[in-house]
Amino acid sequence: MLIFKLMSLLTGYVTVRLRAANFEKVMNLLRKKGISIWDVERKEYDIKFKISYEDYRKYADTIKETKMEPLNKKGLIYNLTKLKVRKGFVLGLFALVVSLYVITSLIWNIQVVGTNNITARNIIKALENNNIKTPISHTSVDPKHLETILYKNFENFKFVEVYIEGSNLIIFVKEKEIEKADIKKNEPTSIISTKNAIINKVIAKSGQPVVKEGDVVYEGQTLIMGIVKNKNSEEFMMVPSEGTIYGKTYYNFELKEPKFKDVEVSTNKSKSVYYLHLNGKSNKILSDKSPFENYNYKERTIQIPILSNLTDISIIKGTYYEQMIKEVDINEDTAKNTLTIGMYDDLLKKCGKEARILKSSLNFSDDDNYYYLRAQIEVIEDIGTKVKIYPMPETEQEQTTNE
Amino acid sequence: MGKFNDFRSRIADDLEIPNDALSDNFNLMMHGNKKVIIENHLGIIVYENNLVEVKAIEVNITVKGTKFKIEEINDYKVIIKGNIEEIIFKKE
Repeated sequence: MLIFKLMSLLTGYVTVRLRAANFEKVMNLLRKKGISIWDVERKEYDIKFKISYEDYRKYADTIKETKMEPLNKKGLIYNLTKLKVRKGFVLGLFALVVSLYVITSLIWNIQVVGTNNITARNIIKALENNNIKTPISHTSVDPKHLETILYKNFENFKFVEVYIEGSNLIIFVKEKEIEKADIKKNEPTSIISTKNAIINKVIAKSGQPVVKEGDVVYEGQTLIMGIVKNKNSEEFMMVPSEGTIYGKTYYNFELKEPKFKDVEVSTNKSKSVYYLHLNGKSNKILSDKSPFENYNYKERTIQIPILSNLTDISIIKGTYYEQMIKEVDINEDTAKNTLTIGMYDDLLKKCGKEARILKSSLNFSDDDNYYYLRAQIEVIEDIGTKVKIYPMPETEQEQTTNE
Repeated sequence: MGKFNDFRSRIADDLEIPNDALSDNFNLMMHGNKKVIIENHLGIIVYENNLVEVKAIEVNITVKGTKFKIEEINDYKVIIKGNIEEIIFKKE
């Protein structure tokens, strides 16, 4: 019945009142003529019922004869017939629909994601060379073809994905990372320092150590050399260095934490927005876009029974929850904890998990607006890293011997 | 008419096909005591707020109750809504 009523809203219907003593006879007459009537309501001296707009027009004579009076007419078809008089409006509406279709079927913007500005500009230039300039229609853009163009033009791209989102052409790019050269076990290497440090312990398994405990070393300085003297002859030979060098390193930190923070608090007010999701595009159908100054936004898709299964049409309900910004005082102990945790997090990033803290001095202070932490941490850690070494070119060797 | 209709009804039963496919018998369905659907009817005889009488082949169906409203009526079926208290079949 619901579908029947929905259909009658589309096709149009007329509510009719019949004032007659023998309305059963009229009802049977309509039935015999094949006119379907619904929502028949009996009043004291008359009855009201609905008939389709099509039947109402088709059997106008019969309706006149039986002295039925139309009360109101509703439905899309009926409204459309009224539009026959307003030709300018219909023309304007048609122009609006056509222009909307044209505007939404064009790409107005090319957006490059995942790379720097220079590469993004180069990508757009490469596309322009292949006649992809905005505005361009959706149909003339083949994402797969564009991906091929980009792979051909930019060899350093590991992954490229091109897709159309509304009126944007999104190009997602992932560049190849420069791979570190693997050092094979039997290749000659030296171990150099990665940090400025004071040497604490040298464990050299292979190679010639060139630093000892207590030495101050700087970043890049050789710690274990991969060139050793051959025991049987006077010649030097290159060997892979192996060992661990522990050094004392110092880290200074200066961190601050505000005494007052703005925190978002929910006000329990919410407003909903409805979008009609059609063919990959969402068009707003109800309510304002952002009704609150500060808000949290959540979205959920409502599937329309049958229609969503057959087509791509669905309704998206977005809810804006109003948020109020409230200033909160930060407790001193909380601030100290936050600063300390932040400092240790930074330290972990700088020196790795195997490092051991020897000494730490933390000084907390504050002024009107901030809490401060000034800290110095003394750490023992492995400071060595392997670097490949190469034999000197012969020409240079000869030059040095001549000198 | 009556005998021929009975005969067609019997054949429909023997062949295990829907009765109304062969005979002109009416088909009456009830949804609780709120709705009654009468298929294969021949017209409305009386329509009051507390009584509806429908003509069918060989029999008149009288539905008694309150707040009656005809939800739909066409050549084939009539749907009556309301508080149904009694249904009476009167042989013509």
